[in-house]
Amino acid sequence: MNNSIIRYILGCVLKIETILLLFPCLVAIIYKENEGIYYLITSCICLALGILLTLKKPESLVFYLKEGSAATALSWIIMSLFGALPFWLSGEIPSFTNALFETVSGFTTTGASILSDVEVLSYCSLFWRSFTHWIGGMGVLVFLLAVIPLSGGSQINLMRAESPGPSVGKLVPKIKTTARLLYIIYFGMTILQIVFMLAGGLELFDTLAITFGTAGTGGFGIKNNSIGGYSPYIQWVVAIFMILFGVNFNVYYLVLYRKWRKALSIEEVHTYFMLIIISVAIIFINISRTAITAADALRHAFFQVSTLITSTGFSTTDYDLWPQTSKTVLIVVMFIGACAGSTGGGIKVSRIIILVKSIKKELASYIHPKCIQKIKMDGKPVEHEIVRATNVYFVAFTIIFFLSVLAISIDNKDFTTNFTAVLATINNMGPGLAEAGPSQNFGSFSIFSKIVLMFDMLAGRLELFPLLILFHPGIWKELFIKKRKISYKK
Amino acid sequence: MLGRKSRKKTGLNIIIVGCGKVGATLTEQLSKESHDITLIDKNPQKIQHLANTYDVMGLAGNGASYNVQMEAGIEDADLLIAVTDSDELNLLCCTVAKRVGNCAAIARVRTPDYSEESAYLRQKLGLAMIINPELAAAHEVARLLYLPTALEVNPFAHGRVELIKFKLPEDNILADQTIVNLGKKGVSQNMLFCAVERDGEIIIPTGMFTFAAGDVVSFISSRRDARNFLSKIGFDIKQVNNTMIIGGGKAAYYLAKQLLPMGIDVKIIESNLERCEELNALLPKAIIINGDGTNEELLNEEGIKNIESFVPLTGIDEENIFLTLYAREVSNAKVITKINRINFKNVISHLDLGSVIYPKYITAEAILAYVRAKTASIGSNVETLYHMFDSRVEALEFLVDRESEVTNIPIMEMNLKKNLLLCCIQRNGKIIIPSGTDSIMPGDTVIIVTTHTGFDNIQDILA
Repeated sequence: MNNSIIRYILGCVLKIETILLLFPCLVAIIYKENEGIYYLITSCICLALGILLTLKKPESLVFYLKEGSAATALSWIIMSLFGALPFWLSGEIPSFTNALFETVSGFTTTGASILSDVEVLSYCSLFWRSFTHWIGGMGVLVFLLAVIPLSGGSQINLMRAESPGPSVGKLVPKIKTTARLLYIIYFGMTILQIVFMLAGGLELFDTLAITFGTAGTGGFGIKNNSIGGYSPYIQWVVAIFMILFGVNFNVYYLVLYRKWRKALSIEEVHTYFMLIIISVAIIFINISRTAITAADALRHAFFQVSTLITSTGFSTTDYDLWPQTSKTVLIVVMFIGACAGSTGGGIKVSRIIILVKSIKKELASYIHPKCIQKIKMDGKPVEHEIVRATNVYFVAFTIIFFLSVLAISIDNKDFTTNFTAVLATINNMGPGLAEAGPSQNFGSFSIFSKIVLMFDMLAGRLELFPLLILFHPGIWKELFIKKRKISYKK
Repeated sequence: MLGRKSRKKTGLNIIIVGCGKVGATLTEQLSKESHDITLIDKNPQKIQHLANTYDVMGLAGNGASYNVQMEAGIEDADLLIAVTDSDELNLLCCTVAKRVGNCAAIARVRTPDYSEESAYLRQKLGLAMIINPELAAAHEVARLLYLPTALEVNPFAHGRVELIKFKLPEDNILADQTIVNLGKKGVSQNMLFCAVERDGEIIIPTGMFTFAAGDVVSFISSRRDARNFLSKIGFDIKQVNNTMIIGGGKAAYYLAKQLLPMGIDVKIIESNLERCEELNALLPKAIIINGDGTNEELLNEEGIKNIESFVPLTGIDEENIFLTLYAREVSNAKVITKINRINFKNVISHLDLGSVIYPKYITAEAILAYVRAKTASIGSNVETLYHMFDSRVEALEFLVDRESEVTNIPIMEMNLKKNLLLCCIQRNGKIIIPSGTDSIMPGDTVIIVTTHTGFDNIQDILA
C-alpha cells in the first residue's frame, strides 16, 4: 500500500484545517473574546504538523481504492481530533471525550450535542461548532480535490469514499472541475440562504451559524431551544433550504447548465419530494387534533419532517411530546434520509428505491421464475454491482445499528433512548427521542457509549466501508508493520 | 503531477468511442495532456476500469446512438474519436456526431476493403482523419526493411526528412569521437544528432558530446544525406531482398502489398487454410505457406537461417517476442517485432529485441498530433509527432504559418528552453539544418526534438 500518499493527504488536510481554524479566531477578535487564542494555538499545531507531513513528497502518486478509503477515514479522524482541541483547551468543554464528541458530531453533520446549555459558550466556539457542519457537509477531501493539483485519475477513489450514495459519478470529465462545481453550488446556495435569513431581520452571527448548520444538514443550534425561538419566517426559510440541501446536487448542476428536462426527471428526487409531502400530510392530520392552530401545525410538521429526512436535526418544537403515529413517521423518514450526492445523511432515497425494487423483482420471480428483469432507475438498468453493494450496505448498516444499540445498552437507559440515539448518530441526524430527544442531550451517556456513538457518526457520514476498512487486518499490516526488505536478485 | 505547474491552457472536450487497446492508449495520453475526456463503450466494466485509472468520465452505451452521444455532451465536444472493433460502427458514430454536434471526427477504419477508399470516405463524410493502425504499422515496418541498419525511421515533411535511430556497434569510427570532431572531418554533413540514449539516460547532445559503443543514437537529416552518413560510418544501407512474415493478418497483407512492388520477396506463413487461399488471391506474387508459424521445424524448413529479414505479425505478443528471440538466435536477419497489447515496456527494452513497433502508439501519436494542432492558437500547427525512447523524448514538426515571436529572429538570439533542439527547417522544399544565424520564417516547417512534453505551439520552444 502507498503509505506515503496517505501521509501526504493527511498533511494537506491539516493545512486546510489550519486555515479553517482562523475563522473562529476572527470571530473572537470581533467579539473581543479570549478563547480565540486557543483556536490560534490549535491552528499553529495543525500548520506545524501539516508542514511536517507534507515536507517529503510522496514516492508514488498512484493510489487505489484502499488507499483512498483509508486516507479519507483517517482524515476525518484527524480533523476531529484537532478540531476538538480548542473546546478542551479553553475549558469550555472540560472533558476531552465530550469535546471530541461535539467535534465529530459537527464534522459528520450530525448535530448531536453533549452540552445542556449552549448559550454559555463563547461566540467563537459557537461559530466553530456550526462551521464544522459546513466543512463536513460537502466534505474536506472534495475540497482538497478542488484546490490541490493531484495527478492521474485515481483521485476518484478519494471522492468515492467521501461522497454519499450508492454510485459516485462525476458531473464533468475532470474530477477537479467536478469538485469545484460542487463547491460552487454549495457556496452559492449558502449565500442565497444567508440573504434570505438576513432579509428576515436576523443578526449576522445567528444567520451564519444557522445557515452553516442548514447547508451541511448538521443541526447545531446556538440557542437552547434550537430554532424554536425564531420567527416563523426564519423557520420556513430554514425548512425549505434544508430540503434543498438534501436534493442530489446533480440537479443543481443540470439546472446550472439549463438541462431542465433532465433535471426535473430524476426519479430519486421525485421520490424524495413525494416522501416529504406524504409525511407532512400524515403528521399534520395527526397533530392538528391537539390544540395548536392549523398554520402552526403545518409549520411544525413541515419543519420536523424536513429536518429529519435531511438528517439536519434542528427543531422548532419538542416532537417527543407528539402522538405515536407522528413519532413513528419521523423515525421512518430518519432511516430513509436525503438523496445521494447531497449533504444529507441517512440510508439515502436512491438506496431505498433500489431495495424496494429488488423486493418487487424478487416477487415477480416467484410468478415467472425464468423471467429476466433488471432493476431500473431513471429508465436505465442499474448494474448488478450497484444492487449488490446496496444490499450489502443495508445489511452492514443493520448489523452495526443493532450492535451499537447492544453496546450502549450498558448504560441501562430505556430502549427508545438507546434505539433513537444510535439512529440519530448513524444517520447523522442529531436528536433522537426520549432521553436523546430534541430537548435533551447526549451528555448523560457514559464514555464508552460516547465512543460507540462517535464511531456510528463517522461510519454514517463515510457510508460505513471507508471507516470499516481501517479495522481490516490487511490494512493494519500495510499501515503499521514495517515491510521486510528482501532481494532475491543476485 | 503533484507540485508540477499545471498548464494554464484548457483542454478540448473529447469523446472517445470504444475502449479497446487504441481507445485505452488514447485515453491515457490525452488525459495526461489535460483534455476533458468522455468515454463511451458498450461494456460497463471496461468503462469502469478506465474511469478508475484516469481522470475521465465514462458512459455505457452504443456510441452511434444519438441519445448516448447527447448524454456524452456531443453538443459541446470538439472532437469525437471512434475506435471500436467495427469499421462500420466507427463510421456511423462519426456520421451521427457530424450531424448532431459541431465537432471534428476521427474514425478507425482498418479492413482492406475500405482502406483503399479511405481518402474518398474521409472527404465525403467530412472526417478529420481516418486512422488505420495496421496500415501505419506496415508502413513503419516497410521503412525499416528499406533501411535495415536503423532501429527506427520516422519521416517528417512528407518523407523528405527522416529521424533515424541506430545502435552504435563496437569498433565503429564514431566511437570516442566528439560531435565537433566529426563535423571537422566532414563525416556529419547536413545532419544533426538529436538524442542519445546511454545506460537508460537520455542526452540531448552538445558539440562536446563524445560517442561510445553501445549508444543508441538518433539523428535527423534528409533521406539522401542520411544514407550518405550511414555508409560513411560503415553501415550497410541496402534494403533487404527477402522477408518472412509470420501470421497473415491485415498488417501482413498491407506490408506485403508494399514490399512486393519494391522487389522484395515475401513469404507469409499462416495457419488458417482459408486465409491462405485469400492471401494467395490478393497477393499472387507472394509465397503463402500454410502451417504453424511457431513450429521450429517449419521455420527451419522454410529457411529462417538464411533469410534477410523476419517479421512476426501474429496476434499474440508473446509469440511474436519468442519468434524474434529465436530468429535472432539462429540467423542474422533483420527482425522487427510487433507488440499490440502488453505493457511491460521496461522488460521488453531489456530483452534487446532490436526494432519493436507498437501499432497502438503509432495511431495514438497521429491523433495526438492532430489534437495538439487543434489545441494550439492560430499561428502554428503540429504536423507530426513522435514519441521516442519510451515517450521520454518528443519529436515534433510544426507548420509555422504566420509571424510570431519566434519568426524572423536568428536562433542564437532566441531564449530557447533547455533540452531542446531545433533540428531542421524546411523552406520551399529545401532542407536547412539550422545554425545560430538562421531564423524561422512564416511558411516554414520546423522540426524540434525535446525532452519536454506537451508542446502544441511553436512558441512553446521559448523559455
